[in-house]
Order: sequence, then C-alpha cells, then structure tokens
Amino acid sequence: APAAAVSLRRCSTRVTLEGVNRSVIDRIIRVDHAGEYGANRIYAGQMAVLGRSSVGPIIQQMWNQEKDHLKKFNELMVAYRVRPTVLLPFWNVAGFVLGAGSALLGRKGAMACTVAVEESISDHYNSQIRTLMEEDPEKYKELLQIIKQFRDDEREHHDIGLEHDAEAAPAYSVLKTAIQLGCKAAIFLSERI
Amino acid sequence: AAAAAAAGGLRRAGWRLWRGRAVVRCQLAPPHRALQASAVLRRVSDEQKEPVTSSSQQQFDSHPTDHQPEQEPQGPRPSYTGQGGQESEDYESEEQLQHRILTAALEFVPEHGWTAEAIAEGAKTLGLSVAAAGMFHSDGSELILHFVSQCNTKLSELLEQEQKLVQLGEAEKKPTDQFLRDAVEARLRMLIPYIEKWPQALSILLLPHNIPSSLNLLTSMIDDIWHYAGDQSTDFNWYTRRAVLTGIYNTTELVMMQDSSPDFEDTWRFLENRVADAMNMGNTADQVQSTGEAVVQGLMGAAVTVSNAETSRAVR
Repeated sequence: APAAAVSLRRCSTRVTLEGVNRSVIDRIIRVDHAGEYGANRIYAGQMAVLGRSSVGPIIQQMWNQEKDHLKKFNELMVAYRVRPTVLLPFWNVAGFVLGAGSALLGRKGAMACTVAVEESISDHYNSQIRTLMEEDPEKYKELLQIIKQFRDDEREHHDIGLEHDAEAAPAYSVLKTAIQLGCKAAIFLSERI
Repeated sequence: AAAAAAAGGLRRAGWRLWRGRAVVRCQLAPPHRALQASAVLRRVSDEQKEPVTSSSQQQFDSHPTDHQPEQEPQGPRPSYTGQGGQESEDYESEEQLQHRILTAALEFVPEHGWTAEAIAEGAKTLGLSVAAAGMFHSDGSELILHFVSQCNTKLSELLEQEQKLVQLGEAEKKPTDQFLRDAVEARLRMLIPYIEKWPQALSILLLPHNIPSSLNLLTSMIDDIWHYAGDQSTDFNWYTRRAVLTGIYNTTELVMMQDSSPDFEDTWRFLENRVADAMNMGNTADQVQSTGEAVVQGLMGAAVTVSNAETSRAVR
C-alpha cells in the first residue's frame, strides 16, 4: 500500500522498557497470566465439590500456591504494561466447570485433571524458558527466575496428583488427552487474543 | 583489492545510471516512487549546493548544523540513501528526512489543508524540491498520521513530567476524574491551531487503508492516559475502562468540531459531564452488584427458614 512507503512509528506512545522484545514478552506474560487465572478457577471448582473430603486440604494447599502465582503475574502485567486476554471471563467459567466436573468423577478424577493440566503448564513454561534463553538470558533474568520457580511448583503439583492415584481415575487416558487438548487451545488463543 | 575497487567503481557507475533513469521513470508503482522521488530530490539538492543565490546559500549554511545529530545511519534497516551518502555530505536516513518534511509541512496546513500542497510548501522551506511531496500518498494520510503521532508523544511527555512532579512531592496527586479530564483536554487543545481542517483529517483517518494505523495510535494514546492515571487492572476492567475513555475522547473531539464558544468552554463542560457519567457508571455497577448479593442472601435465608420449618413440622 502507498502508506507503507513512509515508515511512521505507529505505536508512538508505548514506553519501550529499554529494549525489551515487546512481542515476545507480551505474549508470555499474557498467556501465563491467563494460565494461572484458569488454574485458580479449576482448583476453586474442585474445592467446591471435594472441599470437605479427605483430599480437600491438599487441593487447598495447591490452590494457595496458584493464588500466589496469579498475584505475581498481576504485578508483572502492570510492570510490563501488558494487556490481559479478552477471554478472561470465559476462562473464569470454563476453569470452574472443568474443576467441578472432574471432581464430580471422584477424587481420582480431580487428581487426573490436576495431572493433565499441570503437565501442560510445565511443558509450556519449559518452552517459554527456552525462548527467553534464546533471546537474552541476562536481560530477562528476573522473568526467567520467576518462570523457572513456577515451573518447579507446577511439576510438584503434577507429582502430587500422581501420588494420589490419578492414574486410577475412570477413563484416565481419554480424560488426560481431552484436557491437554483443551489446554493447548487455551494457550494458543490467550497468546493472541 | 583491485577487483574490489573495480567492483566498487562499477557499483557507483551503476548507481549514477540508475539515478539518471529515475527522472524518466516517474510512473512506477508507489513503493518504487519513494526511491525514485528521493533520488530525484537528492540530485536537486546536490545541484542546489552550488552557490546560486545568497538566500539558498543561507539555508544551506544552516543545514550542516541541523544534520550533525542525524549523520549516523539508523539501525539495521537498509536505507537506500546509504549509497547516495557517498556522494552528498548531508546524509540522513529516508525516514528522518520524511519526518522533517512532514513537521515543516504542518505550518502550512491551516492554509492548504492536509494535502500534498502543504507537504510541498514544507519541503520548500527545507530547501528541497517540491517534488518531495511525491514521496507521500496524495491524500495527505502520512501528514495526518505524523501529526497525530507527534501529539501523542507530546501528551506522553506531559503526563510523564506531571507524574515526576507528583513523585517528587511537588504536586498533589489528582483524583481520577480530574486526571482524565485534564489529559483529554490537553490532548484536544493540540488540535486548536488546525481545527478548521480537522474534520477533513478525521474523514481521511477513517479511510480503510488508514484504519489500522489510526486505530493503533488511538488505542496506545488511551492506554497511556490510563497508565498515568494509575490504572492497575488486570481483568476485564482493563478493556471496559479503555473502551469508555475512547468513547469519551471521540465524542468530545466531535463536539469540539462544532463548538464556537470562547476557548471551547462548551467542549470542556461536555467533557466534564461525560467523565462524571463514567465515574457514576462505575459506582452504579458496584451498587447493582451489592444489591444483587444482598437479594441472593435474603433468598437463601428464606429458603433455609422454610426448609427448617418443614423439617420441624415433619418431625412433629
């Protein structure tokens, strides 16, 4: 187009936080924020059904860690001036429904859901860590540290889920595949929208 | 080394040949127009370098000092004026040249409107040929976008300075509605020198090929205002706040076009009312939510009471 002949700075007012690769960081923070928000809602759904059962305290403990993660990403989002995903209200409902739905399948069902989601999330964090390492490990040191810590936490949740007989859940492999597919779709959309 | 020198010589000769053809091939597709036109005006400015009249010489005397800070090439983008720099002394990137022309052209907008004539006049004041206007699209889009971008940058700087004063304790932190009002007013006041021709600019900004850029500039300006207003929302409020402020800004801008009161006081009163409405909307939303919660609790209490009554009646 003729307008392309003149290269104007379209985004004239965005403050570049000193050479940060905005497109990469925006996506990372937006999708991680959405992920932690969704995880929060999943645990809320599970607690609503299984809160008073024997696994209640364990789910509560994992939920508290997710709340801390979400708080951290809220701070990062404001610091890097990243916009949240439009789909937040949708993840709000979908997360709760997934948590409550898997909990209605019993304790093992809830644990299976946890295993599936946490595996997805830790793989996702791993690929983000790889991306940031390729970009500039020094510049993104703080962010890398945070993501590594969170990845380790999610891995721990995954292991807790396995310890509590997630694999004995009804239709475990089908459930796991379906949930992980949903997670992939959620990640894809949240990065972009 | 000889081969390299020969290659360099051939390259330069080829460049001269290409530039010679530039004048002839004026009707190429627009992306090439930029190259041809900039080559043309390079030749013209080279020719003008010979002392012709005292006035043009004065203009060129001031140029070296203008160009000093712009000597270094900008970034990895391959600038086609790079090779021209081997021949002419006042080297700058094409983008910087275009920015300078557009900034100079703004002075002529009240008279000529947002048109190629204004750009041509601007180019003339810089001592360039009027053919420089050929670098740009004929409907003045780039001039308008450049102006909007400049205004947004000025607004950012203003808000940044205000924030510094508050942080240093030299100024009071304004309440949100006051802040939004002042920011929008400051931004709209930048239109006052061009207000006659602004409706024309608005309609050009709404042309399909300009919408991505103009929308981008608008959203980043609104985001900036909210950022400095202290917005820290990370949920859907992020979107509602920006949407509301965009609505306020756009409607106030339109009111300003029609306003004939002294110093646009009707516009600022309109703005004050819209911002107050927006604040009330936020309060109303909260009130509705707490009323809703109270109603639900009331119903739950009633249901429990009824079920207890039923149970006790059944036991009896």
